[in-house]
Amino acid sequence: MSEVCAKGATMDVNLRIAGEAGQGVLTTGELLVATLADMGLHVFSTQVYMSRVRGGLNSFDIRFGEEELFSGRRQADILVALTKEALDALGGDVREGGVVFFDGDAKGGAVGITFTQTAKEVAGSAIMANTVAAGAVFHCLGYDVKNLESYLAVAFKKKDKETIEKNVKCARRGAELAAAAEAARLAAPKGVGAPKTVYNGSEAVGLAAATAGVKFVASYPMTPSTGVFTYLAGAADKYGVVVEQAEDEIAAINMVCGATYAGVPAMATTSGGGFALMTEGLSLSGMLELPVFIFLSQRPAPATGLPTRTGQEDLKFAINAGHGDFARAVFAPGTLEEAYALTRRGLGTAHKWQSPVILLGDQFLVDIRKNIPVLPDQYNPIDRHIVEGAGEDYLRYEVTESGVSPRAIPGGNAFVVLDSDEHTEDGHITEDLEARVRLQDKRLRKGEGLAREALAPTYYGAPRAEEILVSWGSTYGPSREAVDRLRGQGRSVGMLHFAQVWPVNVEAAHERLRDAKRVIDIEGNATGQFAGILRQLGVIGGCGLMLKYNGLPFTGEEIAEGVAR
Amino acid sequence: MKKIPSDTDIAWCPGCGNYSILKAFDAAVEEAKVDRKKLVLVSGIGQAAKLPHYTKANVFNGLHGRALPAATAIKIANHELEVVITSGDGDMYGEGGNHLLHALRRNIGVKAFVHNNQVYGLTKGQASPTSDYGFVTKIQTHGVNVQPVNPLALAIVEDASFVARSFAGDGEHLKAMMVAALEHRGGFALVDILQPCVTFNRVNTFKWYRERVKKVSASHDPYDRDEALELAFKWGDEIPIGIIYRSKRASFEARTPAIAKKTLISQYKGAAG
Repeated sequence: MSEVCAKGATMDVNLRIAGEAGQGVLTTGELLVATLADMGLHVFSTQVYMSRVRGGLNSFDIRFGEEELFSGRRQADILVALTKEALDALGGDVREGGVVFFDGDAKGGAVGITFTQTAKEVAGSAIMANTVAAGAVFHCLGYDVKNLESYLAVAFKKKDKETIEKNVKCARRGAELAAAAEAARLAAPKGVGAPKTVYNGSEAVGLAAATAGVKFVASYPMTPSTGVFTYLAGAADKYGVVVEQAEDEIAAINMVCGATYAGVPAMATTSGGGFALMTEGLSLSGMLELPVFIFLSQRPAPATGLPTRTGQEDLKFAINAGHGDFARAVFAPGTLEEAYALTRRGLGTAHKWQSPVILLGDQFLVDIRKNIPVLPDQYNPIDRHIVEGAGEDYLRYEVTESGVSPRAIPGGNAFVVLDSDEHTEDGHITEDLEARVRLQDKRLRKGEGLAREALAPTYYGAPRAEEILVSWGSTYGPSREAVDRLRGQGRSVGMLHFAQVWPVNVEAAHERLRDAKRVIDIEGNATGQFAGILRQLGVIGGCGLMLKYNGLPFTGEEIAEGVAR
Repeated sequence: MKKIPSDTDIAWCPGCGNYSILKAFDAAVEEAKVDRKKLVLVSGIGQAAKLPHYTKANVFNGLHGRALPAATAIKIANHELEVVITSGDGDMYGEGGNHLLHALRRNIGVKAFVHNNQVYGLTKGQASPTSDYGFVTKIQTHGVNVQPVNPLALAIVEDASFVARSFAGDGEHLKAMMVAALEHRGGFALVDILQPCVTFNRVNTFKWYRERVKKVSASHDPYDRDEALELAFKWGDEIPIGIIYRSKRASFEARTPAIAKKTLISQYKGAAG
């Protein structure tokens, strides 16, 4: 168990299910994640998939243990290969002494269990091959198959009893077949009372938006942002939200501008290419001073890039997108809890400062599935900072010290006038160049306020560490695991995580980084975009760079090895 | 320092068709008894898009071609507002063409008044999507060699709930069309307004239009799609004006469960403001 019981880490098991798109990899994964969480284990799962509806190679990693986990792991302890292609491609990434199941005859070191055939025999349906596989896995781990049964009963509660019974039979049969094939039994972690509620990143963002009072969503589907869009569509009836599939991203952003003008919190979800189409509208929201909120879920680029993979390549784009100078804030959550909290904070910030706010996620983050404490699902709307009772002398763009003008919405006594042209305080078009300067200065003063409120980066690790890793967004988890591993090796290591990447809290960042002997920036892009920003701001001078842009997320062990090398 | 809307300098050329459109618009708003406090004028960019600045209303003057999506969402957020788009042929049929197609599909209850002068005025005289074949400009030096868009036929094919055409040179007719559109409660309304551009379009002049426009006969049944299409295809010696087509589709607001009973904005409860 050398890999499993790495120094400084407690025991955890990495289970990998792989097959073609459409084979039920996701269903099996979800079944196992929910069951393991229900058993009180800490679960962390990730997905890797190809951009296709059928065929190809998709995999679902479920890592579980007795302590909270924050990252995936390269090697699997158990591989469930549903196709020969999966076996050939991933069989080499199973640790010495691990178990490989193959849906077919025994092959090489793999235990052959005909999951599909068995499901057909037992239940008369190939669909339940997943449940047969889950049963076999549970046998290897020494877990009682009853745990699967209780989850199945809950998951299928809407279906007929017969379906549940058939699934239970399949799970039991899977365990029996694994026993008969003398599949190895692995040491397995025990339940420790971990939270039972499982969320993925998309759900965390979507739930936060719905509870914060987002009433209108306009998006064009684009991987990997579609999960949030889909979640909100599903939650729309419960929370009273209009979710509209726009004809394109240009329409989506202009709709969000319109809805916020009329007074309802609104958002769009998109990825890099779609966000590129939104940039004129983003600039419009800066000029009109509308609280526009965009969830930008990143994937490798340029252009279409790797549509279903992960990357952190749109940071500079998010910070600079749109023509002209205008204030904005950009948040980048690193965990599911942070995704929830920053969605809410982002919406609040947008409304307080009447400025666009972007939440940066990526495929890795939205597809993380993990059991965490319950996220509040009560409707708890944010303050829209709307003034009541504005009269006929109302000036939408009254010049103020903070740059924030009282915001009224149409329908009351005041005429609310907005113009994308430069305008005077009343909102009407002007070419008075003094007014231009006065209004532009007013708008940009909001940037100063946003900077004063910028979140300080969070620190984790050894007090006053000699080596500090810098992370932003989804590299938080893998970096955190790396810190634990490296400290386990006796190194003085810490990490500084930026959940707000614009404006940067320069003072707090500098305070943490100035005494470090070595700073290593960890990023999912090829050029070290955030390191460049920190250098520009004078937060750091030179620093080490650990960059990954092959479409896969970092793992904790990979970062630890890189730092130690 | 503070300016009131009526003080705003008008940026249209003397004799521009936009003046009569503005006059008809103000009269139509009075006649249809639209509460100006609940009136939102949405526009993109162009000479027509400046109209909201020259009257009294709430104004969302956004991006070129993007009036429709903004107006759509304003209506969804608060369908008690009367949302009217003042746009031009470039804004609505060119840059915003895709949005028009989808606004027709949605049948969202906004009214689009399109000042169609068959030329780009603000950028000084290039062809527009409705310029006639052969129309010569400084860009289309050998004449426009693509077919003009037929906005009425397009709207009818998409089963728009209200399609009309009028002429800036006939103020009474234009006002009547605008009133009918404002009183229309069944969804999206398109009013295509033939508007001579006195500076950049020396072909389609007031005189040119006057000789050709012909009011549709009182016997025309706007619910007859075939007849409506026939009228929409007429262009040249005779150009029909009037209510060309109506359909009985339900509006987007009426079909959308979350807002079928009350406005979205009224459902925002809780924190102050």
